[in-house]
Amino acid sequence: MTVSTGEPETPVEPSVVGLARHLRVALVYGRDARHRVLLSRVALAASLDAVLAVAADDRGSLVEVAQAFRDASPDAVLIACDGRELRRVAVALEALRLGCAFQRPRPTVHVVADARVGERLRPAANPFVLDVHADATAALVALRALRRSAQPDSVLRDELVEDAARALVASTGSSGLVVDVTETTTSCVLARAVGGIESVHLTRAGIGASVDRILAEVGADGVRRWLPWPIDAPALLERIYNRARWPGALPASELALAIEMAVARETIAAAVRAAERASIDVSELRAAPNMLVTGRAAGFPRPAETLLVLVDGLQPTGVVTVWREPDDGRAERLGLVVTVWGRRAAKLRFISAAGREEHRIQSGSLVRLPLAGDIDVTGAARGHGQAGPLGVLIDARGRPLPLPHRDAERLPVLVRWHQSAGAFPGKHP
Amino acid sequence: MGWRYATWSADHPLPIGRVERAPVGDRVNAGDVLAAGLMLATPTRLSGARRLGLEPDDLDRVLRVPVGAEIPARTVIARTGRRFARAVTAPHDGRVLQITADGDLYLAPVVGRWVIRSTLDGSVTRSDDAVVTVEGSAWGLGGFAAYGPDAVGELLLAVDSPSGELSPGRLDVRIGGRIVIGGARVSAEALTRAHACGIAGIVGGAVPAAGLRVVYDDGALVGGFATREDRPTVLSLIGFGAAALPRELFGPLKALAGSRAAIHTATARLFVFAPPDAIETATTAPSIAIAADYGGVRVVPADCAAAGEAEFASGVRAQAVRCADEVFPAANVRRVDEPR
Repeated sequence: MTVSTGEPETPVEPSVVGLARHLRVALVYGRDARHRVLLSRVALAASLDAVLAVAADDRGSLVEVAQAFRDASPDAVLIACDGRELRRVAVALEALRLGCAFQRPRPTVHVVADARVGERLRPAANPFVLDVHADATAALVALRALRRSAQPDSVLRDELVEDAARALVASTGSSGLVVDVTETTTSCVLARAVGGIESVHLTRAGIGASVDRILAEVGADGVRRWLPWPIDAPALLERIYNRARWPGALPASELALAIEMAVARETIAAAVRAAERASIDVSELRAAPNMLVTGRAAGFPRPAETLLVLVDGLQPTGVVTVWREPDDGRAERLGLVVTVWGRRAAKLRFISAAGREEHRIQSGSLVRLPLAGDIDVTGAARGHGQAGPLGVLIDARGRPLPLPHRDAERLPVLVRWHQSAGAFPGKHP
Repeated sequence: MGWRYATWSADHPLPIGRVERAPVGDRVNAGDVLAAGLMLATPTRLSGARRLGLEPDDLDRVLRVPVGAEIPARTVIARTGRRFARAVTAPHDGRVLQITADGDLYLAPVVGRWVIRSTLDGSVTRSDDAVVTVEGSAWGLGGFAAYGPDAVGELLLAVDSPSGELSPGRLDVRIGGRIVIGGARVSAEALTRAHACGIAGIVGGAVPAAGLRVVYDDGALVGGFATREDRPTVLSLIGFGAAALPRELFGPLKALAGSRAAIHTATARLFVFAPPDAIETATTAPSIAIAADYGGVRVVPADCAAAGEAEFASGVRAQAVRCADEVFPAANVRRVDEPR
């Protein structure tokens, strides 16, 4: 008798996963808006920190631009232009030389243009090393290699997130979006069922050390508006700043957790805004039928907290099955999110193995239904998905989310939303 | 963080327009001028090689003034030929800033001057147009975040205890030029008053984040804000909000009062120029913990012990440490000298 002992054991190779080198880049683009969009997309896809943007047709002083280059201290300069703008781009390169010729190490110059344009810029780029990339993909590969240069064997976290998005598509058979929120970065990666990937890796936008970008974009009030308890802006700022300077801190109180959730919502929203600025179709991101949350946002203690952060930050549309996978835990399905909007009450029918249910959903409400298993949704929204431990969350609050400005009006609304979703179960009266 | 007598290195970035700088090997003291230069307005681009009928690379050969020279209007910058001379002349006063790759020249009007001063006693180890680095020995204390320009002055104690708040009433023009040691909290009022009184800088346990945003606007970044502008200088040692200084930090600060000191804002570090045996430092650094609601940072008793996994009020389950009667997530407690 022969007994199978299974596959021979394959040795496990340890790998280092990280953000690798934080690459600061300056973007120099021509008058055509397509060039700005191209560079923004490359920066988002390659997880670059765009510390400076210089429009080649900007009539600003050479000295000011040079000083901006010097203060920004970029590791690389990305240029996109066509043959008609060479003279203007050459002026920007003169400013780069004035500002960064003595920087150690010197920034490298990457031109995304055809080879002839690149070669004509080469004399102006002296003494910097100039690489010409035929298209955005070539630039992306080169810049990722540059990020990885310090640790050639490391796995970039953004590549891992992209792999997760592809795996989500492979396992579900339909498009999938992975939302990854870490201490310092936020990623939204869409993998399409028909092939192709759309990556948004926003650096300096996490729930920890990189909160500056969020505060600059939305201010303390932008974070405060998500807290279900009253807190004044100065007290909130102190908490945000202390948390930012304490990498890896864990929220021991519900207020600290609420602050992290609020910042996470805003970082996801910031990533969506960045995608919009780079002319990425955000409606496609929001309509992905499968979504996976990873990183710190997936590590919130209760599944409802992760789900609520995703729904508030991303504002998905349609019928979405949501999973989460914390860095140190297993993947779990959270639930099905069904978004409906309109001024009137909506009628939704849910067909599952347990039977058929019909619900009338009031406009402006957030409702959770304890349904399980595979569900077909018809009525005001149509789609198919799988409910998890949180059942089905029906979001009829409208898009964009209407948050009242006054505390007295907003706080009861937020408390209701948190209660409906099941976040902070011990805190509400 | 934590007091240490060591050889430190401090970079001093230079703005555009450098005229002079200390050469490598030069001995300098904190406060000495390391570099001086000109503030420049929008430059004029002058046709150079093309006008003179030269290849761009040959322009250097016919320059009558070097790049970087400050010249009056109508000065001949470059000239070729004898009988049929061609010349490039300055249309206005200014500084010859740069020769472009295609042989043109930039001439920038001068609108002001700047100087960069050393924040260390020591010798210059790097000196170029971008940065001057000074290396020297001093007592150093790393902080949490610093804001404003570098500051040099005599240390002055302005609080009675490490938990006291720096009162704006104790700040006046008589103590101008000093670096004031505050207590647990340095308010925005104290900061702006200190600046108005000509006080070089303030060192304190914590600064209120909202106050920083009032004083520094967009510069009130989480990680600090090093600038050359005329702004108040403050070094926060522990956190934001209020944070009483542990005696291991405050004791030496008190003992070193009267010594020359400097705040290097880019690295959020206080340097004190005193002999190596001027103070005795604790052999073990105290531990600090971030509050459960992140509202502050405080010193915790030294005898912390692992307490296994615990569930906290937020619902988070994590490895915990017990310090006296309190249990913290292990990630929220660290030694004060641990790098952040």
